[in-house]
Amino acid sequence: MEQNNFSFKKYAWQQFKKNKSALISLYILVGLVFIALFAPIIANDQPLYCKYKGETFYPAFSTLVNSSKVDSVMNDAGVVEQLQFDITDWRKLDLESVVWAPIPYSPDKGDRYNREYVSPLDEQRYKNSDNEIVAIPSRLRHVMGTDKIGRDLASGLVHGTRISLLVGVLAMGIASIIGVFLGALAGFFGDRNLLMPRAKYIFTLIGVFLAFFYGFGVRKYTLANAFSEGNGLIELFISFLIIVAILVGLRLLSRLFKFGWLGKEVSVPIDTYISRGIEILNSIPRLILIITISAIFVRSIWLIMVIIGLTSWTGIARFTRAEFLRIRELEYIQAAKSLGYSNFRAVAKHALPNALAPVFVSIAFGVASAILIESSLSFLGIGVPDDVVTWGSLLNLGRQEFEAWWLVMFPGFAIFITITIYNLIGEGLRDALDPRLKS
Amino acid sequence: MLKYIAKRVLIFIPTLLAISLLAFILNISAPADPVEKLSNTADKEGAANQQSNASKKTKQDLRKKLGLDLPIFYFSFGSLSDCDTLYKVADKDHAATLSELSHYYGNWEDVSAYFHQLSNVQTSHSSLDLEEIFMMNTDIDSNPLYSKNEINDVITQSNFEVNAMMETANPSVLESKFNSLDELYSNYSFLSVVKNEFDLAKVSYEKMLSQKSSWKSYVPQIIWYGSKNQYHFWLFGDGKLRKGLVRGDFGYSYIDSQPINTKIWSKVWISFSFSILSVLFAYIISIPLGIYSAYKKDSKFDRISSIVVFVLYSMPGFFIGVLLLYTFANPDTLRWFPISGIQDPTLFNPDWSFWEKTKHRAPFFILPLITYTYSSFAFLSRIMRVGVIDVFGQDYIRTARAKGLGEGKVVMKHALRNSLLPIITVFANIFPLAIGGSVIIETIFTIPGMGFEIYNSILNSDYPMIVAVFTIVGFLTMIGYLVADVLYAVVDPRISYK
Repeated sequence: MEQNNFSFKKYAWQQFKKNKSALISLYILVGLVFIALFAPIIANDQPLYCKYKGETFYPAFSTLVNSSKVDSVMNDAGVVEQLQFDITDWRKLDLESVVWAPIPYSPDKGDRYNREYVSPLDEQRYKNSDNEIVAIPSRLRHVMGTDKIGRDLASGLVHGTRISLLVGVLAMGIASIIGVFLGALAGFFGDRNLLMPRAKYIFTLIGVFLAFFYGFGVRKYTLANAFSEGNGLIELFISFLIIVAILVGLRLLSRLFKFGWLGKEVSVPIDTYISRGIEILNSIPRLILIITISAIFVRSIWLIMVIIGLTSWTGIARFTRAEFLRIRELEYIQAAKSLGYSNFRAVAKHALPNALAPVFVSIAFGVASAILIESSLSFLGIGVPDDVVTWGSLLNLGRQEFEAWWLVMFPGFAIFITITIYNLIGEGLRDALDPRLKS
Repeated sequence: MLKYIAKRVLIFIPTLLAISLLAFILNISAPADPVEKLSNTADKEGAANQQSNASKKTKQDLRKKLGLDLPIFYFSFGSLSDCDTLYKVADKDHAATLSELSHYYGNWEDVSAYFHQLSNVQTSHSSLDLEEIFMMNTDIDSNPLYSKNEINDVITQSNFEVNAMMETANPSVLESKFNSLDELYSNYSFLSVVKNEFDLAKVSYEKMLSQKSSWKSYVPQIIWYGSKNQYHFWLFGDGKLRKGLVRGDFGYSYIDSQPINTKIWSKVWISFSFSILSVLFAYIISIPLGIYSAYKKDSKFDRISSIVVFVLYSMPGFFIGVLLLYTFANPDTLRWFPISGIQDPTLFNPDWSFWEKTKHRAPFFILPLITYTYSSFAFLSRIMRVGVIDVFGQDYIRTARAKGLGEGKVVMKHALRNSLLPIITVFANIFPLAIGGSVIIETIFTIPGMGFEIYNSILNSDYPMIVAVFTIVGFLTMIGYLVADVLYAVVDPRISYK
C-alpha cells in the first residue's frame, strides 16, 4: 500500500523537512512575505482604529482604498475640523481610544521632534495634544531609531521588505521563463533533432524580421504615445498579437513550398545558437552592465528588476539544458515520441515536470544574488530613485554618520538574513530534490 | 590540443564583437549630447539663434572630429519612408521630429522642405534687430508705436513657438501653433520678414499633408552605408584623429575633456593591486582550509568552519565594509586604521622608495583588503571543500591508500592536484568579481581606483568613462575565461580536445 502512495513530491518534502535549517528558513521566508503583504498595516503613522470626538475612524484602512481621504468632525465649540487622513498628525490629536499599527510611523514621513539620528536607546520626544514637547510614550517610540530627517527606521525596513522580495520574484520570474524556455529548447532538440523543411526555416527567419518590423518598427510612435497617455500595455499587447500573427502566418505559408530544394528537411543547430549566446552573456560582467544601464537610462526600481532578470537566466538555462539532455534519452520520452505525440506535448507534459528540480535550486540561489545586486545598487544610490526606501538605501544613510549604528546594523542584518535564508532554502532544495548530489 | 585552443580563441571573436556592440549601443543611447558636453562655449540658457556663429562653427568642427555626422552603423533597418541621410541632422530633437514626420507622411522631400523652411523662419528671427525695429516703427509724430519690452516679448514668443514647432510632429499641436503664430504676425507688422518665411513654411506644410504617402512606412527597407560609420570609426579609428577602441582610444571625458585612457591608466594599478593581493590571500587561506575540512569531514572543525564560511558567503560585501569601518576606523571608539584613501597627502612623499611607500600605505590597505578578500575566500573555500570531498571518494585515492602510501602523500600528491581543477575555473570568475565588486568597496573606503572612478562618473554623467570601463571589464572577463579554459584543458587529462 505504501508503495502506491509514494510520490516524488512527497519524498522531496520529507527530505526537505529533515533539513532543519532549511525548514526554519522557509518559515522565516513565509514571515517576510507576510510582512511585505501587510506592510501598510504593520507600519503606518495613521491608527488602525481610533475614536475622535465621538466619531469612529479606520484611517490606515481607508487610505488604502482612497489615498487622499478627507473626513471632518465637529468639536465642542461647534467648529468643523477637517481631517485629511494622510497628512494629519494623529499622535497630536486627543483621541478617545486608539489602536496604533504595530509600528506607528510611515517610512517616508519625518518625525520633526526626533530628527538628527535619534538612537533607539536614547530619549525620544513628541508633541502631545496640549502642544507640549515631552518624552514619548513607550508605545510610540522609534524602536529602531530614526535617520537625519526623523524617518522611522523600523517602518522603512518593513516597507523595504516589499522591494527586496519583489526583486527576487520579478527578476527570477523573468529569468526562469527565459532560462527554462531556451534551456529546454537547446537540451531537448540538441543540434540534430530540430528538423524542419528548408522553406519553413527560411520563412521563420524572415518572419522574425518582419514581425519586429510590423510589431515595433511601424508602431513605435503609436506605442510611445500610448505609453505617455497611460494605456501602453494595451498597445503593447496588440503589437504582441501582430508579431504572433505574422510568425504563424508565415509558417503556414511555408507549407505551400513543399517541393524540391525548399522542401528538403534540414536540422537547425539550436543548441549551438543558444550555448554560444549563453557564453557571450556570461562574459559580460553583470554588475557593471547593470550599473551602466541604470546610469544611462531612467532611474527606476522596475527597470533594475527587469535588467537583473534579463541578465541572470543563463544559469537556469544551463541547468535545464543539462536536465533535458538526460531526459530526452529516457524511455518515457521515447514512448511518447513513438506514440506519435507532438514535440510540444513531449516537452511540456512529459519532460518539463521532471526537469524542474534543479531549476528550483538554481532559482533559489538566483533570488539571493538578485537581492544582493539590488541592495548593492541602492546602497550606492545608483539606479534607484531617491524616494524609494530600500534596505540598501537605509544602510547607505548610516554610512554617512558614524554614531548611527542602528542605521547600519538593522538594514544590514535584514539583507544578510534574507540572503542567508534563500541560500539555505536552495541548499535544502538541492539535497531534497536531487538525491544524487547528496554526499 | 592546439586545435582546441584555436577553436576557443575563435569563439572569443564574436564575444568581443558582442561586447563592443553592446558598449556602443550604450554609448549612443546616453542622454547627453557629446558636442554640448565637450564644447565649453556651450550656452545652456540661450536658444540656438542667440549663439554666436563662432561657437556654432566650433561645434560643427567638434561634431566632425567626433564623427557624429556619419551614419551610426554599417546598415540600418527601417521602412521606405525613412530618410537615409537623417544622421546629418545635428540636433537630436530635430532628428526625432523629422523621423516622426517622415513616418507619418512618407514623402521625405516634402518633409525636409517643410522642416528646412521652418529653420529658415528661425534664422530670420536672428536677423531681427531690436533697436532698428524700435526706430522704424513710429507714428507720424515719430513717437514709437511699441515699447522695447513689447517688441522683445513678441520676438521671444514667436521664436519660442517656432522652436516648439521644430520639436513636435503632432498634427493638432502644429495646427494650433500655426494659428497662434498667424495671429501674432498679423498683429505686429514689424515681423513681416519672418511672416514671409512663415507663409512659405505654411505652404510647404500644406504640400506635405496633401502629398501624404503613408504606405511607405509599411514597407521594410535595409539601407547599406558601408564602413564609413560611427561604429566602425569608434572601433577601428578613422585613420586621422581617432585611433579607435582597438588601439585603446576611448574618447574624452565629459568632466575635464581629458583622454579617457590616460585617466584610466593612472587609476588602474590601484584596483589591480587590490585584486591581485586579495586573490592571493583568498587562495592562501581557502585552499588549506578547504582541504583540511574536507579531510576531517563531519568533524567539529569541519562543521564550525562550514557554518562560518556559509555565513560569510551570505554577508553582503558592503555590509562587511561598513561594519569594519564602524569598528576599526571610528573616531569615537577604536581608531586603528584611517577611514579613507590610500595615502595621507600631508605625509606622503612621491620620492620615497617602494618600501617606504608600501610601509606608509599598509594601514590604508588593510580594511579594504579584508573586505576584498573575504568574498572570494568564502566562495573558494566552499568550492574547494566540495571538490576535495569529491576527489576523496574516487577510486584512485583508494588505490593510493591500498598500495601503502602515507596519508600526507595521498593528500598532497593525489588529492590536492586533482581538486585544484575547479579552482582554475573559479579564477576566471574572480576577475569580474574583483573589479565589479570593487565599485562598492572602493566607494566605501574612498579608494581612488577604477571602481570609485565609475561611481564618480555615474554621479557626473560622464558616459564615455562608464562605457570605457564597461568595455575594459568585459574584455578582461573574457580573457579570464579564455585563460581558464585553456589552462583547464592543459591541466586536466580527462578533457578531450576534439
